[in-house]
Amino acid sequence: MDNVGAGLVPARYEAEEEMEVKDKIRETLINLLKLKPNEVRDDMKLCDGIGVDSTEMVEFVIVLEKVFGVKLSPKEITKFCSVNEIEKTIQSKLVAAARV
Amino acid sequence: MRKIAVTGIGIVAPSGIGKRQFWANIKAGRSFIKPITRFDAKDYSSHIAGQIDDLDAYTHVSERLLKKMDAFSHMALIASEMSLQDAGLDIQKEDPNLVGIFLGNAIGGWLYAETELRDLYLEGRSGVSPYMASAWFPAAPQGQVSIYYGIKGFSKTVVSDRASSLMALGYASKTLGKDKLNLILAGGMEAPVTPYALLCCNTYGCLSKNNDNPQSAYRPFDKKRDGCVIGEGAGIVTLENIERAKARKANIQAVISGYGTTCDAKDRINPATDGKELARAIQMALDDAKVSPEKIDYISLDGMACDDWDLGEVSAIKQVFGAKAKTLPTSCPKSMFGNLLGASGAVDMITTILSMEHNLVPPTINLDEPANNGLNYIKKEAKEHKINKALVISRGRGGINSALVVEKE
Repeated sequence: MDNVGAGLVPARYEAEEEMEVKDKIRETLINLLKLKPNEVRDDMKLCDGIGVDSTEMVEFVIVLEKVFGVKLSPKEITKFCSVNEIEKTIQSKLVAAARV
Repeated sequence: MRKIAVTGIGIVAPSGIGKRQFWANIKAGRSFIKPITRFDAKDYSSHIAGQIDDLDAYTHVSERLLKKMDAFSHMALIASEMSLQDAGLDIQKEDPNLVGIFLGNAIGGWLYAETELRDLYLEGRSGVSPYMASAWFPAAPQGQVSIYYGIKGFSKTVVSDRASSLMALGYASKTLGKDKLNLILAGGMEAPVTPYALLCCNTYGCLSKNNDNPQSAYRPFDKKRDGCVIGEGAGIVTLENIERAKARKANIQAVISGYGTTCDAKDRINPATDGKELARAIQMALDDAKVSPEKIDYISLDGMACDDWDLGEVSAIKQVFGAKAKTLPTSCPKSMFGNLLGASGAVDMITTILSMEHNLVPPTINLDEPANNGLNYIKKEAKEHKINKALVISRGRGGINSALVVEKE
């Protein structure tokens, strides 16, 4: 069950990193905002907890699109409240892309 | 006008960051003009400048914030912090609606803008940092200072070429005089040591090409002058009404007592060589301060080191000061660290206040043989001289003239 769809993941994504999606998202956030690893938890609210402002969110989304090779719509972006929720959105995109 | 107290000084300049280091180098007459090392500038006809390399060592700004701003905003934040500390003020205890910011800038944040524009053409829209929109424009430092301290009062950024920051100080003083605010951070910042900004300054054609001798290149009023040398930095002071400053027992380092500004209405770049409109601005500032020319003890010169600019400035001083012009000490200390363009007037005022404090006129270095006779140029070395009242002159392209009177309290 754990390997369902694994062979269908696009080559770009597969070759990029072995890191889990959530780890990559967290690392991206930490690098962009110059945070310390212990300042970010996966359930923390980006706006209220980490203080991400609107421009930081724009930059974050641009980098996530590059890292994962997916397109993210403004509607999806507004749902990005925590690392956990971003991971769900990106995972679903990756799985959808793999099915094409 | 009502006299306005200067209670704090913040200075970020090639000659030093912080007023003690800055003044130690100014009074010693040391030049900080060097070949530009930030980028390969050797193909520019003028590739020397007053460059600041150790900004990060003085910063109190987080990396997270720093990546969103150009160097000129960073300099403004450091100068603002130094100014408030020097004034002994805790800004969090002030009513934010009654604190203002009046800053001057000429060219904006080009290092940030150039980098992102390059990425736009190389990588397309997604290659451009989203912070670009809020990082490059001349009022960006005002915004960053406002956000950093939570300042919410009436504020303004003046863009008036090299006269920008002296005009900002003038407007700030007028605003405080009307009791609209309690406190203003006022001055200016400029960061022109970037590939495109340097190109524009070179194209303008008033920069020294004496690249082989950087320390002696900027020579205002000298027969061998061939233009100014650019520099970067910020000068920001804390201004308050005298009554408030006295009530809180602040150290009143000087007072701003008069301001005047005029336009030449002659040429889109060069000044009027007859100096008539500059003379009118000077007279306006003196009248505003209710000070006669005889009472002025020192003049801080604009000193562009170009024939027309220097000629007009000397002519204006002679028109206002008459016979006294021959004996009244004058100098252009920016010959040591470069012309900070939009920040130059504020830095000149700070230098003048430090000169008043120490009763020492800083020199115009590199002035060997005056091309324009009739002024008492203090050359080479600082000279002891009691200064109670002083005049600061700042001018910009297109014939912008401004003058400010500062006095001991």
